[in-house]
Amino acid sequence: MSALRIHGIVLSGVGGQGVLSLAQIVLEALRRSGFHALQSEIHGMSQRGGSVQAQVCFAEVPLTSPILDEGSADLLIALEPLEALRHVAMLRPDGHLVASEEPSADMAGYPPLEDIYRALKAVRGACLLDTEDLARRLRHPQAGGMALLGMASRHLPVPEAVWQAVITERFAAKGERVITKNLEAFAAGQGLVPARAEA
Amino acid sequence: MAQSTLALGVEAVGCAGFDAGIKGAFGYPGTPSTEGFECVEALIHAAADGRVAQWAANEKVAYDLALGVSFAGFRTLVTMKHVGLNVALDAYANSALTGVHGGLVLLVADDPGMHSSQNEQDSRSLASFAWLPCLEPSTVQECYDFTLRAFDLSEALQVPVMVRLVTRLAHCRAPLDRREALAPTGLGPVPAAQAQDWVLIPSNARRRYEDLLAKQPRLLAALADLNRSVPGPSRRGVALAGMGRAYFHQLALEHPELRDLPRLELAAQPVDPDLEAAFLATVDEVLVFEEDYPLVETRLGLRARVKVHGRMDGALPRVGELSPRLLKAALGLAPSMGTPAELDLPVRAPRFCDGCGHVDAFEALQEALGNLGATAQARVFGDIGCYTLAAQEPLSALHAVVEMGASISMAVGAALAGLHPAVAVIGDSTFGHSGLPALLTAMDAGADVTILILDNRVVGMTGQQPSQALDQVERMVLGMGIPEASLQVLTPLPRHHEANVKAVAAALQQPGPSVLVFRRECIQSLRRGVLREHDRNEKAERASACCTLEVQP
Repeated sequence: MSALRIHGIVLSGVGGQGVLSLAQIVLEALRRSGFHALQSEIHGMSQRGGSVQAQVCFAEVPLTSPILDEGSADLLIALEPLEALRHVAMLRPDGHLVASEEPSADMAGYPPLEDIYRALKAVRGACLLDTEDLARRLRHPQAGGMALLGMASRHLPVPEAVWQAVITERFAAKGERVITKNLEAFAAGQGLVPARAEA
Repeated sequence: MAQSTLALGVEAVGCAGFDAGIKGAFGYPGTPSTEGFECVEALIHAAADGRVAQWAANEKVAYDLALGVSFAGFRTLVTMKHVGLNVALDAYANSALTGVHGGLVLLVADDPGMHSSQNEQDSRSLASFAWLPCLEPSTVQECYDFTLRAFDLSEALQVPVMVRLVTRLAHCRAPLDRREALAPTGLGPVPAAQAQDWVLIPSNARRRYEDLLAKQPRLLAALADLNRSVPGPSRRGVALAGMGRAYFHQLALEHPELRDLPRLELAAQPVDPDLEAAFLATVDEVLVFEEDYPLVETRLGLRARVKVHGRMDGALPRVGELSPRLLKAALGLAPSMGTPAELDLPVRAPRFCDGCGHVDAFEALQEALGNLGATAQARVFGDIGCYTLAAQEPLSALHAVVEMGASISMAVGAALAGLHPAVAVIGDSTFGHSGLPALLTAMDAGADVTILILDNRVVGMTGQQPSQALDQVERMVLGMGIPEASLQVLTPLPRHHEANVKAVAAALQQPGPSVLVFRRECIQSLRRGVLREHDRNEKAERASACCTLEVQP
């Protein structure tokens, strides 16, 4: 019997940034793409502005462990640069990192930004996004998360039509305009990363 | 119609409760159990067919409500976190003796690793303590399937059945296949001829305890298919329970050689001793992977001549939650390594929301203590809620936080021992949960305590559920005997700071118990509009009451 490859994604950020919501979109997209997928999240006090992370595992057979080991994630999606660094040890050597450059620095001892950027750029496969600038350009304050997901989508085996459908359904209750704005942010993120050959 | 959906582990339990045809669901919020109740509550509200979903003032009340539904002949689900079961333990342990009529399932969510709890106690111990069965799922689908099974077992054996989850499973989101939902079917209340079984005066209790013990072999037989021994060619075996089972199975996908290990797989307790003995006879050593206390490990160790490894011999850490990484290390697999960031990363701790009224209340308290020159000798007893965050910097305002409701009673005890000023800080929901009896005693004892009730009108920390004390805190305080002169209602806003400081200082100097209610709605619930409809209705009611008065001659 041969060993099986289990894929992992870590999503991180600060409470209130929408990490769990993004994780649920990824989970649903993978499920609809024919994978067996699990998501883990920690609720409770972490919602009060603390560090938040969620993990998604997927494979071609049913999975039972919702948590990943260090060095086993294929992808890290971070909504905040310090929270990206906190989880880079989760990445495999050939993993990818997509992260926002926009700091949430309202805390004690936040390191100098240039140190954070330097450490992030040292991560192999890192792709950073100035979400603040993008939000301004798209006139959409919450564009960052969806744009990072667009960037990450280049590394995930999910067909374009599935992303479109899942994002559309996720924001259906908020009306046509919100759907359009989010699809636009997702596309903007996609445009920043070249499509991978096998996708 | 059967349907497939994505659900959290706790939600799967809630769905199963609904699909099993419960008449009533009850609970008290507590991470990581909260969404289990919220899920069944949403289903019950949508069904609009006369079933009930009711948050209770505390876990004991929730459990007794469920026991009442069972007595009335219907199925019922009750949900709480692990430390909540301590509050409900009197009800739970004694319901083992009464037994149940309609099926009663207790969802308990344990929190190994203490992600958001004050301890990591293992609810399986409390199930054994009460001589009751406990099912332990390891996947979201099992959460559902086992809960349905738990209702059948509960009715077949006439005992309450615990379904025990841990944080990682409670908050694991995965696909869930649901079966067709059953409608509630009433058996009618406990027949008069059997009512003595439910009256636990000593003569009946002795008989019922014998009955409960006599049920144990039947209980073992009924659970037998949930536990199994899987042979393998190796003389080294593993015993797996709960998430230990989930993690091991996934590791075996990546490391096929693990499939050679004989396995004892446990999903329910009590466990048939013959099954364990037969498994132990096939191995020379066994590694035990179970979440939380070393219960299986201790039992196997007492029974076996084989070497048992786990939390007690250092194969696994003595405390904290299991993880695939810990399993790998214990099994001798090479750890997978990542490269950490080349930078020291400060911890980003949870903190008060910007603009939270709790902060204003604590600032008023601290300044008042400072003005009285009492900062050094004062001790502030905190309680469980968002305001527990005040224990950390920059406020560092709390000196003790133990369990729900402890603030008032501890402050009273300390005051009776001569500590002054003795201050208690408690939230509105926690006050309703278990602060009320403490206040009754505070008044009776005449203790010199100052009690701050931080009334944010909701159960803030667990997601702004409705507080049972909504709009009633003053009446509750006065009802416990506190004189009106010793009760003040304040608004924790920066512009009221000076007035609040004065009010707190006056209360601190007043002999006997005094109560300060700091009332301002939680800004999260305000943002979400949780109480908007409630407040609109209240306003309309008050307006119409005034009109009625006006037209009277």
